[in-house]
Amino acid sequence: MNRRASVGIAIILIAILVLISQAVFTVHQVEQVLVVQLGKPVRAVIEPGIHFKIPFIQETFTFDRRLLVLDQESQEVLSSDKKNLKVDNYAQWRIEDPLKFYQTVRNEAGAESRLNDIVYSNLREVLGQFTMMEIVSGERLNLMKQIREQANIQTKQYGIGLVDVRIKRTDLPAENSKAVYRRMQTERERQAKQYRAEGEEEAVKIRSQANREREVMLAEAYGTAQKLRGEGDALAAAIYGEAFQQDPRFYEFVRSLETYRKAFVQGTTLVLEPEGLFRYFKGPSLNPR
Amino acid sequence: MSWSSNGGGGPQRPWGQGPRPPQPPDMEKVYQMFREKFGGSMDGKRLWPMAFGIILVIWLATGIYVVGPDEEGVVTRFGRYIESTNPGPHYHLPYPIEDVYKPKVTQVRRIEVGYRTRGRSAVDVAVESLMLTGDENIIDIDMSVQYRIHNAADLLFNVRNPPRDPSNVVRNVAETAIRQVIGRNSIDEALTIGKERIQANTLSTMQKILDDYKSGILIVAVQLQQVSPPEEVIHAFKDVASAREDRVRAINEAEGYANDILPKAKGEAAKQIQEAEAYKTAKVARAKGDALRFLSLLKEYARAPEVTTSRLYLETMEEVLTKTDKVVVDPRAGQGVLPYLPLDRQKEGIPPLLPRKGGEG
Repeated sequence: MNRRASVGIAIILIAILVLISQAVFTVHQVEQVLVVQLGKPVRAVIEPGIHFKIPFIQETFTFDRRLLVLDQESQEVLSSDKKNLKVDNYAQWRIEDPLKFYQTVRNEAGAESRLNDIVYSNLREVLGQFTMMEIVSGERLNLMKQIREQANIQTKQYGIGLVDVRIKRTDLPAENSKAVYRRMQTERERQAKQYRAEGEEEAVKIRSQANREREVMLAEAYGTAQKLRGEGDALAAAIYGEAFQQDPRFYEFVRSLETYRKAFVQGTTLVLEPEGLFRYFKGPSLNPR
Repeated sequence: MSWSSNGGGGPQRPWGQGPRPPQPPDMEKVYQMFREKFGGSMDGKRLWPMAFGIILVIWLATGIYVVGPDEEGVVTRFGRYIESTNPGPHYHLPYPIEDVYKPKVTQVRRIEVGYRTRGRSAVDVAVESLMLTGDENIIDIDMSVQYRIHNAADLLFNVRNPPRDPSNVVRNVAETAIRQVIGRNSIDEALTIGKERIQANTLSTMQKILDDYKSGILIVAVQLQQVSPPEEVIHAFKDVASAREDRVRAINEAEGYANDILPKAKGEAAKQIQEAEAYKTAKVARAKGDALRFLSLLKEYARAPEVTTSRLYLETMEEVLTKTDKVVVDPRAGQGVLPYLPLDRQKEGIPPLLPRKGGEG
């Protein structure tokens, strides 16, 4: 009897434990739980902590509450200026309505394939309204917001909230890249040529300026020199004039003698007649002329 | 262990760990304690409560946990976030009531965008590093991002990441941010002066996005490792640099030329002027000398004109005649002879044929 009683107690205890484990469930901080009663969703539990349900009749489905990432393959998009762009993007999303989510896509894999389509189509549509440069540069923030808002309207029915759509890379397809590289190259070549030509220009300027300065300097020096020489000549002439003016005839005489002395150098042959200087040659006479 | 659960199995919990296995307290001590308390009288009636008591104590003891100096403790009660704890010993209610996660928060982690370090060398990852600039050029940027966790609870509960490695979200955000920033800059800015600004802008853009996600991640630093033109055009870019050098060189050479010829010309000019100066001074001096000499002579001449004239004349003639060869011809004697004078022969040192006809003495 004692034995039977203890077995009975044990069975009751175990039954209670099973009942409790069936009636109690915890919702983790990162989870949200959908309570389903015989296939019919009853409520969604988002508040983390301990919760109760009707044992055996209600079951729970657990979903993530965190921000989830959808990293998409890159794909080609046509911009409004008819340029091909390879766009690589990712999206952050979360399950906002576990019931709708469960009913429409059931799980994350299902959600991702649906999201892929939605984000891609909106991306195409929105990017098609902008030029390539707008996509690449300043408009990015607006674009991403616009894509997110458009896509969000569609994702609502799946209980999914798109928190953020970001364009990670916007690259040009290979052939367009090549064209850009060619343009970059020619641009730089142009610049290089310009630098070299500028150098040449500057150099020629400097050289010709130097040549000019030299010419001017030398000519001015020549002028100054000539003026000085002229002054010297004039001064000398004045001095000579003043001195020789005192007896021009005597000056002429003295100067003639000087000239003879200089002119008749060694080797000169003079043909003389025995007159004048040599008048005494034939015999002394003290009355010349 | 992958934390990204797909296929509807429900989310796995942060860090992917269940409750930690209970740590057995010192059994010997517990036993001893019990022994002393119950006086060693161990019979069947007391066995159950005692075992229950031991199990209870062990269970309670599993709530002791130590947060390491590089960790932050995050406590949940029935899954709900309760508190964050600092390094040191702590206590939480044992499983399944409370649970603790201890992510490493002080560690500064690092990701590489555009390249990967393999041992000592870096391998370029072109798809990550090539990007479009605001002026429709392509630039090659390698960047490293350092980050750490500044709010462990946010990191654990707000964004799903591979356990222990939040680098996925950081990488996505980093690529987005750097392209967004570069897309607003010209290639020349990015290549030259804009580096600091690009780093700062990328950091703040990243931080803003991560804050929007409530990721609990703090970007410590963004460093542009290498900013260069793409491989395909790097030669053209380098040539621009050398062209710039060429320009400076050409100018330097020209200036060298100017520096060479101008001083020389200055010297030449000075020389010419000096020479002229010398000419002038010499000319005047000579004139003065000549004049004085003439005046002196003139004074003497005035005293005795006749004699002075004769003397000067004779002295000069003497000097002249001693130097020169002479032919004295009496015009009366040699009237037909003169044309035949062999003046050229005389020059060659042959004595001239002098007319023998009388009168020469």
